[in-house]
Parts: sequence; C-alpha cells; structure tokens
Amino acid sequence: MADISEQGSVRLSDRQKDIIQKFAALGSLFVLVAVFSLTSSAFFTVNNGMTIALQVTSIALLGIGATCVIITGGIDLSVGSVLALSGVVAALAVRDWGVPVPFAMLIGILTGSLCGWINGLLVTKMKLPPFIATLGMMLIARGVALQITGARAVSGLGESFGVLGNGSLFRVVTIGDDGFPNVSFPGIPYPVILMVVIAIAVSMMLNRSVLGRHIYAVGSNSDAARLSGVNVSRVVSFTYVLSGTLAGLTGCVLMSRLVTAQPNEGVMYELDAIASAVIGGTSLIGGVGTISGTAIGAFVIGILRNGLNMNGVSAFTQQIIIGLVILGTVWIDQLRNRR
Amino acid sequence: MQHKADIRHARAASPERRALLRLDGITKEFPGVMALSDVHFDLFPGEVHAVCGENGAGKSTLMKIISGVYQPTSGSIVYKGQESRFASPLESEAAGIAIIHQELNLVPHLSVAENIYLAREPRRGFLVDRKKLRADAKRCLDRLGIDIDPETHVRNLSVAQSQMVEIAKALSLDAEVLIMDEPTSSLTEQETNLLFQVIRDLKASGVGIIYISHRLDEMEEIVDRVTVLRDGRYIATDNFHDTTVNEIVAKMVGRSLEEKFPERLSEPSEEIIFSAGGLTRRGVFSDVGFSLRRGEILGFSGLMGAGRTEVARAIFGADPLDAGTITMHGETLTISSPRDAIAAGIAYLSEDRKAQGLAIKMPVDANVTLANMDEVSNGFGMIDFAKHNKVANDYVELLDIRTPSIKQPVRLLSGGNQQKIIIGKWLFRKPKVMFFDEPTRGIDVGAKFAIYKIMDELAAEGIGVVLISSELPEILGMTDRVAVFHGGRITGVLETRNTDQEEIMRYASGYGPKAH
Repeated sequence: MADISEQGSVRLSDRQKDIIQKFAALGSLFVLVAVFSLTSSAFFTVNNGMTIALQVTSIALLGIGATCVIITGGIDLSVGSVLALSGVVAALAVRDWGVPVPFAMLIGILTGSLCGWINGLLVTKMKLPPFIATLGMMLIARGVALQITGARAVSGLGESFGVLGNGSLFRVVTIGDDGFPNVSFPGIPYPVILMVVIAIAVSMMLNRSVLGRHIYAVGSNSDAARLSGVNVSRVVSFTYVLSGTLAGLTGCVLMSRLVTAQPNEGVMYELDAIASAVIGGTSLIGGVGTISGTAIGAFVIGILRNGLNMNGVSAFTQQIIIGLVILGTVWIDQLRNRR
Repeated sequence: MQHKADIRHARAASPERRALLRLDGITKEFPGVMALSDVHFDLFPGEVHAVCGENGAGKSTLMKIISGVYQPTSGSIVYKGQESRFASPLESEAAGIAIIHQELNLVPHLSVAENIYLAREPRRGFLVDRKKLRADAKRCLDRLGIDIDPETHVRNLSVAQSQMVEIAKALSLDAEVLIMDEPTSSLTEQETNLLFQVIRDLKASGVGIIYISHRLDEMEEIVDRVTVLRDGRYIATDNFHDTTVNEIVAKMVGRSLEEKFPERLSEPSEEIIFSAGGLTRRGVFSDVGFSLRRGEILGFSGLMGAGRTEVARAIFGADPLDAGTITMHGETLTISSPRDAIAAGIAYLSEDRKAQGLAIKMPVDANVTLANMDEVSNGFGMIDFAKHNKVANDYVELLDIRTPSIKQPVRLLSGGNQQKIIIGKWLFRKPKVMFFDEPTRGIDVGAKFAIYKIMDELAAEGIGVVLISSELPEILGMTDRVAVFHGGRITGVLETRNTDQEEIMRYASGYGPKAH
C-alpha cells in the first residue's frame, strides 16, 4: 500500500515537471513576443506574423522530420543538402526537360524521399551509425546538387514555379483611389498551410497510429520492440524517408519562393531542424518528443531571428543568442530528467 | 538482538582476532521497500566469508552499502576499528575495499597493464611511464601466479583471465577487503580451481574475502564462514564446517517449498503440443531437442551459459538457428524473426526485463498492447483508444498490476509489476507456447507467487509453458519435467517429482546419472 502512495507522489511531481517544461518553451515564446512587441512597433502586426510563419515553415517542416528520426534514437544531418538537391532537380526538370511545374516538384520531393530511403538502408541494413550515414548523404547530396547545376543557380523557371512559395489563400486586395492595389489582408501563404496540415498529420500519426506507437517503442527500447514483433528496420527506415520527403518538399518551397534554384541553399538547416526538435523537448537518446513541442521550438527560433532583426541585432549576435537558448532549454530538460 | 548476534560472532571467530569489517544493525529502506532490516555481518583478515540468500534476499544491497554505492538508513559500519561511512565506491576503494562484479568492469580496448592502473598510471611529467606501468603490472600478475602478458588487450582474454586481471587490479589498490560477486558463474572447472588457488593465496596474505555465490557445492573448498540473508533479514552466521549445505538452503528458503509455490492445478496429458529437434547454433548449442505436453510446465535448468536462454531465443527467432526443426500442434514452423515466432503463437519473456522486455519510457498501456497492436487498431492503422484502454485496464486488473494509472511510465513501477506488464503483453497475444526466462529474478515474494500461479493457470488452459530458471527450488516447485543443459546440450530430461537438487546439479555439471 505504501508503495502506491509513494508512486502517486512521484507521478504528481513528474507531471508538474512535464508541465513546467511545456510552459518553459511556450512561456518563453510568449515572453519573446511580448518583448519584441514592446521594442519594435512593426513586430506585432498581421503582416509580420505572416512573414514569421513563412520563415518558420522551412525550420518546422525539417524539424517535424527530424523529430520522428530523433524519437527512434537516430539523427538526420542530410536534410539541408537534400533540400538543395530536391529543389535543383525540380528546377532542372522544368527548365531542361520541360516537365510541368506540379510534376517537376513531385519529382523533386521524390528525390528527397529517395535520399531518405538510402539513409534508412545505410542505417538499418548496413548498420552504419545514423550520424555517419547521414553525414555521408549530406556531402553526397550537396555534391550532386552542385555537380548537376555546375554550381550555378537555375533560373528562368517561369512564373508558375513561384506559386507554391509565394501564393497565398484568402489574400484580400482592394484597388485604392490612386489606382494602385492595396493589400488589406496578405492572405495565408501556401507554405504556412502546408506546414499546419503536415504538422497535424504527423502529430496524428505519432499519437494515434500503430506506426507512431512503434516509432516511440523503437526509440524507447529497440530490443524490446524487436522482441515484441515490431519490424524495427521498417519503422526506422520510414522515419528517414519521411525526413527526406519533408526535406524535398522544403526544397521545392524555398526554391519556389525565390523562383530560382540555388544548389547552395539550405546550408546548416539541419542544425536548425535538430535545434527546434530539441528546444521542443525531443530527447536525443530517443523515445521522447512531440510535434507540438517541435513547432514551438521552430517558432522560438523564427521569432528570435525576426525580432532580433527588427531590433537591428547583428546576425552574429543572433547566432550567439540562439546558441544560448538551445543550451538553456536542453539544460532545463536535463534537470527535469535527473531524478 | 545485538547481544544475540555478538554471541554468535564470538562462537564463530577466536576472540583475540579483531574484525576487519563489522556491520551492525544495518537497515536500508527504499521508497516503499525495506531492502535490508537489522543486518549483521563481520569479516576477519584472512577469512573467506560467504553471503548466501535467494535472489532479492538483500545480498547485493548489502554489498552496495559496504562499497559505498548506497548509504544505510541506519546501522553502523566499523572498518579497521573505525566507524566509517563511504560516500561513494571511490572512497571505499581508497580505503581498501575492492569489489569484483559479476559483469566485469574492464576496458576491452586497453591493455591488461593499462586496465590495472587505469586513472592511476605512473607518470613521467605529462606522459605515461610505459616501462614502469608494464613492470608494475607484471609484478601484480606474478604475485597471483598468473601468466598473462601485461601488453595483451583485454578484449583478447577469456572471462577467467579477465577476472584475474580484476583481482590483480584490486590487489594493486592494496585491497584488504575483496568482494567477489558470483565469481565462478562463467568459469570452467579448471578455471574455477585456478581461482580458488588464488583465493587461498590471498587468504594466506591476510586479505578478507566476501564471497557471494549460488553455488553452495563449491564453497566447501574455500569458505570459512557463511552468513544467510532472507527477504532482507539477517538469519544466521555459521562456521561452514559446522553446518551442511542442506541446513544453509533451509535457512535461505525459510519455509517449506509448498508455501512458496501454489498448488499445481494443471495436469500433463499425453498430447504433445510443441516439439523441437536437432536445434543447433554453431558454437552455442547443438542437437537440442525436447517436447512439451499439454498441461505441462517444462523446466530448463543448467548453469549460466549452458544454452538454456540461447535455445529459447533461437526458437523465438531472436537469434539465428543453424539447424533444427520446430513443430507446434503437428505443424512445422519456419521462424526467422521474432515476428514469425509471435505470429505462430510463441511468446518469450526475456530474462532481462529492462533491456529486452519493456519500452521503459512508455506508459503501462502502451507496453501491454505493444505486441498486439493489430487487435486495438482499425484497418487504417489508427489506434482505437477505447479498445486500447479497455485492454490495458483489463490486464492491470487481471494481473493485479499495482499502478496509479495505465498512463504511468513503466520505469516508475516495481520489478514485480514490470514483470506482470510483460506477462500481460504476451497474454494479450493469446500465445500457444510461452517461454518464461528467469521470470522471478529480482522480484519480491508476493509477486513471485502470483507469477507462479499465472504459469500454472496457463498450463491448465492448454498453453505450453517452459520455465527457464537458475533457481533449483523454483524448478522443483513448479515444473513437471526438467531438461537439464550443460555445455550447449541437454544432458537429461528428468521427472521433477523423482529428482532432487543434487541430481539436477550432477546433470548440469555434465556428470550424468548417478552411479548406483
């Protein structure tokens, strides 16, 4: 009897710690918004909100993939390069092979999936450590992207290539008295819609599907999962394919926004993705992590960048601050887990 | 109590010798568990003092208190005449108390010499003085009469050799108290003899040795006194030669076998539901065959490393098989992964709960349903949470799992409850054959009894039950027949009611049937 009450009290403090952690990330997000609203009048506006959301999409999409991979106990360092390769392939498909834009982008996204699939093979079949496997892919994908473009930007893609990245839903434009168009509501950019839909879908997958359950089980204890009949290789491979696919999608979105494909796009994005997952409470040991946490993490990074920019803080100082934020949140996480 | 204990000690040791180490009234409480209560123990120089008790009796807790891993809740530790408290293993080691764990703690990629002097390397300026390191290590090994090149990497050594290196390391620390935890469990007879020779030499040089082992039969050769613990309580200390193995066992068990095990309800029939033949995994086990009858509990006995667990894991598809056939209900099975085995209706409760049985960070419900997610999800692979939670609640109730809720992470539950969760996971799979590998290791008495009852009920329902256990009383109390393993083979299948510990041990050590 005594041990139940004991466990009860452990659980309570456990739950409290969980809440503190969740609020630590979410609370710091609110604090950031409040501070930046005070220091810059242009910060708390619909326009800037949409700008931030748009900037956050790439981090969030990559972060969602990274979260799934990290929950299994892996890591994906290749997404920055893979997004460049995917975007470049999509652009070349349009310019050189004359493929219609939607199909070209599908080819681009599938290029990302292929890279993820190879990562999965390297990790599950060749038993390479995920760090090494995806480090290799990071170099290879970047190299291929530079090779096939001759290290030059791919431009002249036509207006339709820019729709995915620049278009928006519910955009309200009125023609003013002076005859110039007047944007009364900037609309919700397509990338933001994509981000929200994918975040909800992956979150459902993790929380409500058998596959999601297996992803957590593999990360919590892969031996136990295997001995319980979970197809560990397939589950792990899936997370890399998902991460690669989302990298491919991110690549298409980014290149579409610029209407130019840059083989040098996305350098170091993998670190933003991992950082957003980690700030959101994902454990690099595996078994722990949520999409909502990662979304908060992505917004923390995005809002920090945006707000600091608006306050004229240099890019170098921004790096220092974001570095400190990562260290701080993970330290809080460690405190929470130390018992 | 204090007084009585003192009288016993006085009888056991001559009064003029002063105890090297003396523990009095040691109590250790963990949240909700009394691990040790009022335990006495003393050790004289040049003595081998065995500590005996069943799993969970408190032996390892006591050792952890002596070596400073745990702090006692109350009680006194007097070491070399001084009241001592060791705050960490480093402190006890510095004071001259060394422990040699069952799982050896050497760095495989370093040489023998580097291991012996790890973190205390002789230096010349900033550099390691390799010459001195080598010479010192050689001296250590020579003192033990061991012929190992100090330059050899530890990964190339046998288990016995590694153990010798650990002892050498302990001696290089000028250890006066040496704790040996199951030192012979993975040694051959020849290696054991060598170890005993080393232990005799250590005794002669005045080292006090605390010897923990399940192998009572071996103790005669080296042990001077024996202390028995049971359920965290001190039972007795005796001169080994004034007592018998049977007396020691009786003190360890404390009650008759009938009370420890439930009455068997299931009865073996003639119908064979599962059989295996010619099972071979090169270098691990060979030509293993057995059959399992409806209603029967079959025991797998034998020493560690004899092949019991390895055979079960191979049948379950966790390790590859090189040859052999597996038949269930007359149908030959092809198993190449745990998935295949589970689909065929085989369940395997692994011996290492935390490492292989549980998704430790996940809650109770997720662990119960893990092996059978198809049952609690729809055609699109989405979990049906109403069904899912009902299943979890049902098994929590059925198995009397003590948890505040089904959302409790399993790592916060006790060992017995964790084990019940794994059992629940397999019961939900509705297995046809279930292997229980050391199901009661490190579990409290009440939970043990419950697990035995479950096994019996499963057998009564017609599910094949195999009990793999190192504890002979458990084998004798629960099984109908017992297959004894030695060196990767089954050396005999005995009718449990016609056998005894002694006969099983004979088969387990490869001697075969008793000569009449």
